[in-house]
Amino acid sequence: MRELPYGKAALSMLVLAVLSGAWIYSHPPTEEKATLRLWVFANTHYNAYKAALPAFEREHPGVKVDMQLVAGTAVTSRLLAAFWADLDVPDLVETEISSAGMFFRGPLKDIGFVDLTDRVRDSGLWDRMVRARFSPYMSRGRIFGLPHDVHPVMLAYRRDIFEKEGVDVSKIQTWDDFVRVGRMLTIPNKRYMLEMTDTDSSLFEYLLFQRGGGYFDPKGHCIFDNDICVDTMCWYVPLVAGPGKIGNSLGGGQILTKAVEDGYILCLVAPDWRTKFFELDIPRVAGKMALMPLPAFTPGGRRTSTWGGTMIGITKRSRHKDLAWELAKFLYVEKTQVSPRFRESNILPAAKDTWDDPAFNEPRPYWSNQRIGRLYAEVAPDVPYQYTSPFIITAKVKLGEALVECVLYYKKHGNHGFRPFVKRALKKSADEVRKLIERNPY
Amino acid sequence: MISDAAQVKGRRLTWFSLQHKYAPYLFVSPFVVVFAVFGLWPIAKSLILSFYATNGPKSQVFVGLDNFRFLFRDADFVRAVWNTSVFAFWSVFLQLPLSLGLALLLNKKWMRGRELFRLAFFSPNLLGQVFVGVLFSVLFIPQYGLVNKALHAIAGRSVPLDTKWLADPNLVMPALVLTSLWMYSGFNMVYFLAALQAVDQELYDAALVDGANGWQTFLHVTLPGIKPVAVFVMIMSTIGSFQLFELPYIMLGNGPGPDRAGLTIVMYLYNTGFVTGDLGYASAVGWTLALGVLMISLFQMKASGAWKGASE
Repeated sequence: MRELPYGKAALSMLVLAVLSGAWIYSHPPTEEKATLRLWVFANTHYNAYKAALPAFEREHPGVKVDMQLVAGTAVTSRLLAAFWADLDVPDLVETEISSAGMFFRGPLKDIGFVDLTDRVRDSGLWDRMVRARFSPYMSRGRIFGLPHDVHPVMLAYRRDIFEKEGVDVSKIQTWDDFVRVGRMLTIPNKRYMLEMTDTDSSLFEYLLFQRGGGYFDPKGHCIFDNDICVDTMCWYVPLVAGPGKIGNSLGGGQILTKAVEDGYILCLVAPDWRTKFFELDIPRVAGKMALMPLPAFTPGGRRTSTWGGTMIGITKRSRHKDLAWELAKFLYVEKTQVSPRFRESNILPAAKDTWDDPAFNEPRPYWSNQRIGRLYAEVAPDVPYQYTSPFIITAKVKLGEALVECVLYYKKHGNHGFRPFVKRALKKSADEVRKLIERNPY
Repeated sequence: MISDAAQVKGRRLTWFSLQHKYAPYLFVSPFVVVFAVFGLWPIAKSLILSFYATNGPKSQVFVGLDNFRFLFRDADFVRAVWNTSVFAFWSVFLQLPLSLGLALLLNKKWMRGRELFRLAFFSPNLLGQVFVGVLFSVLFIPQYGLVNKALHAIAGRSVPLDTKWLADPNLVMPALVLTSLWMYSGFNMVYFLAALQAVDQELYDAALVDGANGWQTFLHVTLPGIKPVAVFVMIMSTIGSFQLFELPYIMLGNGPGPDRAGLTIVMYLYNTGFVTGDLGYASAVGWTLALGVLMISLFQMKASGAWKGASE
């Protein structure tokens, strides 16, 4: 070993490295006939699909679906990184509505999802599904995702307290009616009529959508400083900040549970998916809760809105795009799969012809035996359109900033000069989004 | 004529001398290669990227200095710099005196259970920012949170139970500073404690003989004795403060908080890079931050006389 002064150990390591390298090179990993990799971020979806996937695999012999549950906050950045690096890209991905727009940045050819427009139209899904639900997953007129849900919004309320206070909800037809009742039931610092926040746009946007407003128009122009938004803001802020305040929010999770149990908040914004969360997180009020349609802004106006959503997209890197499309349809529009799933998730599927299943007519004890599936199905066709943009997250933050500014102004000056201030605040925020859009060279 | 044996010996000598000459380079080469690939190249690449508008790494458009020009006009960046500077200011001017005070206390020989206190004060740092962020978001909850309950019990109606620490633009920064105070005071205390224990006891004895009182001893013996460590802690705290990200990100629900009150420079960088998808602009932010921190650190070293001390 005098010729190799670093000793036997170094020689052994070298030999091992060469041998193992040669072995790996000569044994490339073998793949099954077709393995579809699917990323989901919602636990409820994961559990539902887990039960459904064996049926799909039986229908497609030799096909295996490798489903992975990726944390909601991580899925967006992981997918972005995967698209950028062309590595570890799954075949199908479920993406949350507020982050979907982020993947539509850049020229169409650079979008990591397959353009599904022709497939959607050829398969008839364009007519079968609630059309408004495609809009958040479209860019420049092309469809990049299949909508999982409709997520119509109703109001969940403490039926026991309303009855005790002698409130007849059937008489609450408009927001004016609602506010009137709210002023009666609200006890400052002890009880508030509605869950409303004065710090971000999360509980403001469904009202904006209900009035036909939004963050962007179909062409991706920022529009949240238009008259609809100004009107909504002028209506909203005094309810959450003024002396006639009827809304408050303490936060989510356990604190929301406590606030509802204590009767601190009487009415909650309830898209279908959230009713399941209430059932699981606030079990003590079972049988004391009920749902009512959103009050309309004008008599005879829209009685619902929308909050949240999920799409499934097929990635351009997928080597089995047709198979991936079959799987997407199986999970999202196959009646035998989708309808019974309502019992587990309370989520109304986007395919309208699935809503006649008995699962949607079952009374729910938690909701004072209301047939909540039917209630949601009745308002679902009227859910408003909402459009997205790669700058959607920024737009949400900016609208939230404008809201905070308006709240601070109103607390200090009240109605004096409030509307012009709202206009200025919204324009300033929207201009900041426009400035970013203008910088985008694509 | 040279014999065969001599030739073989000569070849072996050459082989050995070559190995001995190049062996050091061989040994350091793994580090150099890894550092070049994962350290130098990304740094160089980020500098190049800062002159491009990008959509991920694939689509790039050269924009020259436009990213930097836009940066200084962008209200969000200005707000992020302001927030981070305020946080850094309070971190240095609240945290360091508190850390030093704790260290002075725990340096007293008469103090009982010093080891226990040392562990107690240091332990928050073992938890990590994410855990601490989650913990304090619960403590700061309105209506039911411990902070509000305690303050309400002490101060009465002047601190309402539903005070929204993390949802009120005016309270977000105090909440962040308080949280970092809890987390890092004990950590910096350990540095000060080590420095205090290294101060020459004879100097204290001499001060005592000269009739110096406690304050004079602290001012003329203790402070000069711990100055190098104090400068180090100050610079590290400042750098750490300018890199603040996880704490507000977790406490404010993955966002900048109400009215951007918790927006920091690194959060702004993260948002532009991984939310808006413009890695070029994010690189420009990163380079501006790095240069800014470098300038502040150099200023601190100069102002505190650290260079002078080092050259002596």
